[in-house]
Amino acid sequence: MTIIIDGLRYLAYILIFPGFLFCFLTGLLLCGIDRKLVARMQKRIGPPILQPFYDFFKLLGKETIVPAAANKTVFLLAPLVGLAAQVVLQLFIPVFQFNAFHGVADVIVILYLLLIPALSVILGAASSGSPYAGVGLSREMVTVLSVELPLVLVLLAVAKTVGNAIGTGLCFSLTDIVNYQIANGSLITRLSMLPAVAAMLLIIPGETGSHPFDAAEAETEICEGMLAEYSGAPLAVYKLSHAIKLLTLTSMFVALFLGGIGGGVMAMFTGVSPVVAGSVGLLLEILILFVLCVVLVAICVSLIHAVTARLRIEQLFKYYWTVVTGLAAISVVLAWYGL
Amino acid sequence: MFQKLITESTGKSPWLFHINAGSCNGCDIELVAVLTPRYDAERLGFKLTGSPRQADIVVVTGPVTKQSLPRVLRAISQVPEPRCIVTMGSCPQSGNVFRGSYSIVGPLSKYVDVDVDVAGCAPKPEAVIDGLALATKILMEKRGQKK
Repeated sequence: MTIIIDGLRYLAYILIFPGFLFCFLTGLLLCGIDRKLVARMQKRIGPPILQPFYDFFKLLGKETIVPAAANKTVFLLAPLVGLAAQVVLQLFIPVFQFNAFHGVADVIVILYLLLIPALSVILGAASSGSPYAGVGLSREMVTVLSVELPLVLVLLAVAKTVGNAIGTGLCFSLTDIVNYQIANGSLITRLSMLPAVAAMLLIIPGETGSHPFDAAEAETEICEGMLAEYSGAPLAVYKLSHAIKLLTLTSMFVALFLGGIGGGVMAMFTGVSPVVAGSVGLLLEILILFVLCVVLVAICVSLIHAVTARLRIEQLFKYYWTVVTGLAAISVVLAWYGL
Repeated sequence: MFQKLITESTGKSPWLFHINAGSCNGCDIELVAVLTPRYDAERLGFKLTGSPRQADIVVVTGPVTKQSLPRVLRAISQVPEPRCIVTMGSCPQSGNVFRGSYSIVGPLSKYVDVDVDVAGCAPKPEAVIDGLALATKILMEKRGQKK
């Protein structure tokens, strides 16, 4: 009996919250807010906030063309694999005190899962047989390579700080990281974590391929790069998983550095029955998480998009492996000395 | 219900692909002007794409030269259905001042079905937005008939 109930619960996690439906709605909404913010920063009126939803449903209704030179199976399956990995990734990221899946080392799992959407785009592009996609995928590989190193260092700094405090050496469990912050205040208030926070803010636009770091998708020079041959439903799936990536990375930032904010929410409901407290508290936590995600997107995606021009790929590589890696490394060193 | 949602969305997110068929660059600049903060066509969902595979509306400028014709036809055939073709400026309709030249094979309507013509040399941004809005309506009708 418990197996069936557990099974149904996990199915609800995967399909509704925090899985597919939640990702679909919040991811596309975040994307729409980003486009609106960029437009307002450029003194434009901008598209409606629901624009990504319109784009998504329009693309579903378009004809899907598979190029003659393409490998049909890989070309059509790659977007689905990427989307599935992206949704699974979101399941591992806690919404303050709520999390669907957790383990002793979910940070490592997240690190690996983050690669799969990027790899699926690369795979799809490579199978499409277009020279533009070829140029795009080689640039995407360099981007992935340059963003990964500082990201690992940031995660290491956080793991060491929390691990030192709770006495396990290195703490690779996001649940423990968030619980520690709820008990002792958010990590963003530590001086030793500030360089890591700055590094993470610069990693988010690189990982999502937003403006100064979008050499791989440069629409003005290489025809959208890796997506050059995609049309219709597969393109819609790619756009969706790109939008969810925005949500995943910002909510990961919240879990890593702002986890303490959720602590006060559940404490408000001490006198009420646990069912009411659980559901209302969870709704409030989701709301707080969404607001924080919007703020993060405004700072590190929209603002940087509006004020910068695209970097060349070697400039991007150099920037990430010197400035951003340097910032993250400072945090790691400080964390190692227990500051 | 779902089909209706898709048709509605088609009218709200038309993506443009721009083909230069030997244009003097005047119309090309005016098309970009439509997307600048002053006119901001993005508020209606218009977006300039880099690949014909992702486009809904093809905007053709220039008098269709002999050299460009096969490329124009090939690019248009790569645009997935439902699609709309808009000619911009007087050149693709009549040849404009280049009419009678040995290198001009226009008008474009001899080779493909053109949905909207925006005349002018170069047309005002308001006229371009008007023409694109009309093309969006035609796009919705085409989508509605398909189902």
